[in-house]
Amino acid sequence: MALLNKIAAVIVTFNRSAKLMKVLDALQRQTLAPEIILVVDNASTDDTMALVEARAKEMPSIRYLRLPKNIGGAGGFHEGIKAAYEQGANYFWISDDDAYPEPDAIRKLLDALHEFESNHQWRPSFACSRVEWIDGGLCEMNTPRAVWDWARFLRPEKPWALVDSCSFVSVLIPRWAVQEHGLPIADYFIWFDDAEYTRRLSKSYPGIFCPESRVIHDTPDNRGVNFGLIDEKSLWKFKYGARNETSFRRREQGLPGVMAYAYGVHQQMKRGDVSWKLRGQIFRAILRGVAFRPRIVKV
Amino acid sequence: MYNVHDVPVAVSPEASKRLQAEIEHIIGIYRVLYPTENLDIFLYEGNNPIWGRPSIHEGKAVLQPAHLSPEFLGRMECPGTDRAGPVITIFVSIPREASPGEVKRQDPDWRPVRPLGALYAAAPILYEDIRYRAEMRRKRLAEKRHQYVSLPFSRGSSLLPAVPEPDSDKAPAILIGMHWLEVGGAEKLGLDSIHWALEAGLRVFVVAGVPSLQRLASKLPDRPDVTFIRLDRYLPDDQWPRYLENLIRAENIRVVHNHHCRQLYDALPQIRVMTPWVKTIDSTHVVEYADGGFPRISGVWSNYIDIHHVISRQLANYYRDHFQVLHNVVLGRMLDPRDDRKVLPPISMQTAQNSLHISFIGRMYYQKRPIVLAEILKSLTGWAKKADIDLRATIVGEGPYLAPLTQLLRRLGLLDRVTLEPADCDVPALLDRSDILLLPSNNEGLALVCYEAVEHGCIPISTDVGAQNEIIPEDLLLPLSPRETVSTCTGIVERLWRDRDFLDRQKAALHAAWARLSADPTAKEALMPHYRDAAGTVGKG
Repeated sequence: MALLNKIAAVIVTFNRSAKLMKVLDALQRQTLAPEIILVVDNASTDDTMALVEARAKEMPSIRYLRLPKNIGGAGGFHEGIKAAYEQGANYFWISDDDAYPEPDAIRKLLDALHEFESNHQWRPSFACSRVEWIDGGLCEMNTPRAVWDWARFLRPEKPWALVDSCSFVSVLIPRWAVQEHGLPIADYFIWFDDAEYTRRLSKSYPGIFCPESRVIHDTPDNRGVNFGLIDEKSLWKFKYGARNETSFRRREQGLPGVMAYAYGVHQQMKRGDVSWKLRGQIFRAILRGVAFRPRIVKV
Repeated sequence: MYNVHDVPVAVSPEASKRLQAEIEHIIGIYRVLYPTENLDIFLYEGNNPIWGRPSIHEGKAVLQPAHLSPEFLGRMECPGTDRAGPVITIFVSIPREASPGEVKRQDPDWRPVRPLGALYAAAPILYEDIRYRAEMRRKRLAEKRHQYVSLPFSRGSSLLPAVPEPDSDKAPAILIGMHWLEVGGAEKLGLDSIHWALEAGLRVFVVAGVPSLQRLASKLPDRPDVTFIRLDRYLPDDQWPRYLENLIRAENIRVVHNHHCRQLYDALPQIRVMTPWVKTIDSTHVVEYADGGFPRISGVWSNYIDIHHVISRQLANYYRDHFQVLHNVVLGRMLDPRDDRKVLPPISMQTAQNSLHISFIGRMYYQKRPIVLAEILKSLTGWAKKADIDLRATIVGEGPYLAPLTQLLRRLGLLDRVTLEPADCDVPALLDRSDILLLPSNNEGLALVCYEAVEHGCIPISTDVGAQNEIIPEDLLLPLSPRETVSTCTGIVERLWRDRDFLDRQKAALHAAWARLSADPTAKEALMPHYRDAAGTVGKG
């Protein structure tokens, strides 16, 4: 069982100062306060810096890492976890700038990790919260992926399912996992960085989903990741997603994995009646992903 | 008791007295480091006035002929609490007394580096340009060559017992670490903070990191509650952490305030773990181009430091931008106590006036770029001659560049227009009669002389370095490249003399900048709460 519990919260933000302040409010109310709250600012052009500076006067745990340019959520989490690691954190609580943890969310994640290790001797590589949308329902885009024997240690009083993937919205990662598997891939820029990273961590041992730890994700709408939902506005994100997941599949499963993925994307777009023009762009992104082999940076 | 060799009859009483005093000082230092051990001290006559070349051997000495060199003065035994206990052997020289020449001159006269001597003789500004380019290259490489990550500091687990704070019957004290006790901005703040600590009710211990004659030691308050410990002379660097831990415990030190003392930074792990109740403060001034200087060192140690005191907003931003630190950076300007009734005199310069008085005030070191100053004066004199203006200049300062500057001014034919004054001249009176203050520095923290210039109705013009833009309006800032410094400065002075709107705008901007700075907290205001808190005199006026 781990004896040292220095937690660093890593929040990546870009031009959402009002929501970020609500995240800091939520962190201030935590029953287990992170020793470091690292705000990673992706070169915001709004009043983020001024508000964080003012907030730091009353919250001494705040650190502020301003990146010279916007390197996407993936780059932000890469830099943030790296900086927090260098600061000697024993756990990294990773989350978005629009996700508000309930007061006991972090404590419950840490308790779950400790208790799971004590009871079962296995070391989960992360613990993730139940992410709810603002209406209290499950937030579609933040649904963790269960492993085949997800129910192995699940008990009515300890409903911790084994998962091998989750989003960067309220996930607690122990230091050993970062030490062993390195940092999220910054080159992904956006989308699939969290899924790739947590799946990489899961190679040691899966993570655990802790529904008793809750966080509210304040997104404009509650939509999952489905290529049938592509429109002109969201196309750029889906292109990153397609390229990144293809790259991951190529690395982990080879070309058959890429083929299976491409087929799945095709089916989703077909069902969603996505225009051929947009479909073409997604397939081109998949082709780019075949050759896209970003480096995994170790700490 | 220890035995001392008989003092030869030919030795003067003063020398004997000095020897005894130094020996007492050495024993005092090593008794703190080794409170119970038997000390075996081998003393030598030093051949330099600064450093005692101390070395320690934990155990009994195994003597060799080299230990009995011609400089060998003798041996002293200082018994510990147990005669049969461990023995510590110390080898240390007593530095000789400095000669009057050494006391007067801290550094030898500056000379150009040998391969470029001919270039300097032919075109001093080109020599400066090469030096500038070399420095900018070092600046570019600094981020790669030096660490910009704060060292982690784990406070450990609460499952293990905390270090108990010992009871002490001594009055609370502060340890003030200085780079050295020589003239400089950080040292001025260090001396000020000694006075403020005394005012707060703390006893003061002072140490310096760099061996030197410590000429400012004579400026320390002559009081029994101020002690200057010559660790710079007599203690090896690697023993500072243990020494300081013992001193903190023995003397009830509650605060450690670091003014650019490297060894004190290196002692922070020892202080934080062994004496965690001690508050640690540091003050920083200038970001050096080559390696970031003390602000970078301070940022690297940030997790071990409770309060970072900075003298400018630029430095506060430096901590934020390089080390993500916001919460414990405290701005405290190096200004005199606030006086809300103070009314600024009007700035004296007028357009098209017949005469112009330009001043320079600063130490004659490369940092102030005296060679560039001479080139500016040459350029201005040429312009003034054409415009039929009686231009005069006064240069105040001492240091290794004084002689080469004088020589250069003579070569440029400027000595009849330039007056050289010593550092202790009447600066306020000079600023009162000056129209413009020039500061073409290579680097600065925030030069207070610019602030003083405004208070005396004088217009400061400075290079855009450090936090100078916090007091100097944008239109009066000079680029750093030497040739551009010269040409831009001449252009600004010419425009101030010719363009009334421009002059009025600059006067208004200078007064506004002065007011902004004056509204910020002073260093005393930033530090005194911590001193009073440590002294237990909070709220006692």
